[in-house]
Amino acid sequence: MSVEIRMAKGLRVHVDVPATVNVDGDNAREAVDALIVAFPELQRFVLDDARRLRQHVNIYINDALIVDRTDLSDTLANGDRLYILPAVSGGALPYSTPDSPTKWS
Amino acid sequence: MSETGLLVSTRKGLLLGRSSKDRTQWDWSDLQRGGWIVDYSMHDPRSGKVWCSASHWQWGPRLHYTTDWGESWTEAGTPAFTDGERSVEAIWTVEPGGKPGLLYAGIMPGAMFASEDDGESWREMTSLSQHPAAEHWEPGAAGLVIHHISVDPEDPNRIVTGGSATGIMISYDGGESWSVRNEGIFNEHFPAEFQQGAPCVHSLIAHPRQRGRLWQQNHFGQYRSDDDGESWHVVGEDLPGVFGFPAAIDPRDPDVCYFVPHDSDQARMPYNGALAVYRTRDAGESWERLADGLPQEGFYHTVYRHALGQDAGDPLGLYFGSSGGELYGSTDAGEHWSLMREHLAPITAVRAFPLD
Repeated sequence: MSVEIRMAKGLRVHVDVPATVNVDGDNAREAVDALIVAFPELQRFVLDDARRLRQHVNIYINDALIVDRTDLSDTLANGDRLYILPAVSGGALPYSTPDSPTKWS
Repeated sequence: MSETGLLVSTRKGLLLGRSSKDRTQWDWSDLQRGGWIVDYSMHDPRSGKVWCSASHWQWGPRLHYTTDWGESWTEAGTPAFTDGERSVEAIWTVEPGGKPGLLYAGIMPGAMFASEDDGESWREMTSLSQHPAAEHWEPGAAGLVIHHISVDPEDPNRIVTGGSATGIMISYDGGESWSVRNEGIFNEHFPAEFQQGAPCVHSLIAHPRQRGRLWQQNHFGQYRSDDDGESWHVVGEDLPGVFGFPAAIDPRDPDVCYFVPHDSDQARMPYNGALAVYRTRDAGESWERLADGLPQEGFYHTVYRHALGQDAGDPLGLYFGSSGGELYGSTDAGEHWSLMREHLAPITAVRAFPLD
């Protein structure tokens, strides 16, 4: 499948990549892998050490959030748009509950 | 006295300070790595590099260094797990090892990494994270973290680590094997029959001049060891409380140590809104309250575990930051303090070093 990947400005301020990249892939994993082959520096921004989607990064296929954040097995159709976006939840403390100390305490 | 460099890590970036020779005037860099959470920074005297460990809410941890005082930054390799399960969430400390190019990194979640090529590539030191004691590690409020690594300057195979709540682990063979050194640390939450050595280390310093001398700020008290942690002595009985995060030493005198006691793990801020540093000059037998120039009312911030540092000057320079973004300094071993910066983001780490 030929799909278009769009990357949010919040990502592109940190890494020099175009806003839109066209890749081939039958599912989100294949599309993201193809993107990382073209722009290897994106791997650590989007995926964790186990190649799962980072906790505060989201991928949408058209208007639907992907379901499988571990294997990225959500399937793609020809002409789909895939969006890589920082989650709004990224402003939250990632390691603490609201009433517990921050990670530096 | 030489000029002093000061690295002030904050939740929104890093500031590099350069002092005059008398340490009374400071030139500050612009904010470096702005917007990133700088967990730790340090100067490696071997390479001259300033290392900056930063993480980002969305985009994960990174390790950078500069050799031109922040004019440019180079991204180094990032420690990464290879087991397909764990993922590095933050790099809490980076310390020079005992031979050229050797670096150690303390990681969340609970691991230590080593690099033998000055940070280009990293390997997990599984001897630590697969130690039988690791089965009993539990995350503290801050997560499961190795946050202190001390390498003996005379014997680089002697490495001491401290973490939350991984306790004290020591190696005499460069990290090939480790021993647990928590015995005698009292956990006030547990009844006497369950005492097994409280592993919630907040700060750990191995004195570079006296082998065996360790200082520890634990969740449950201030401790000194004279035998590499085989036994621990409570030294904080005359301090206002057992809780606190940072510690600092005088590199020339192993009997000197500084703590910043906080009002219990329930409040985590100085007592009665009065900020004070406490110093012993007799190995913990007695303590002096050092507060001249520090706010004595209405101070409700925390001083985090890496946020107190000393330089190598004589008299000793001390610097610390608060979660309220205030940076304080003293050029007379803590007798007098002055406000150096304010309105910063919460200060996570403060480290000083001599500039050539």
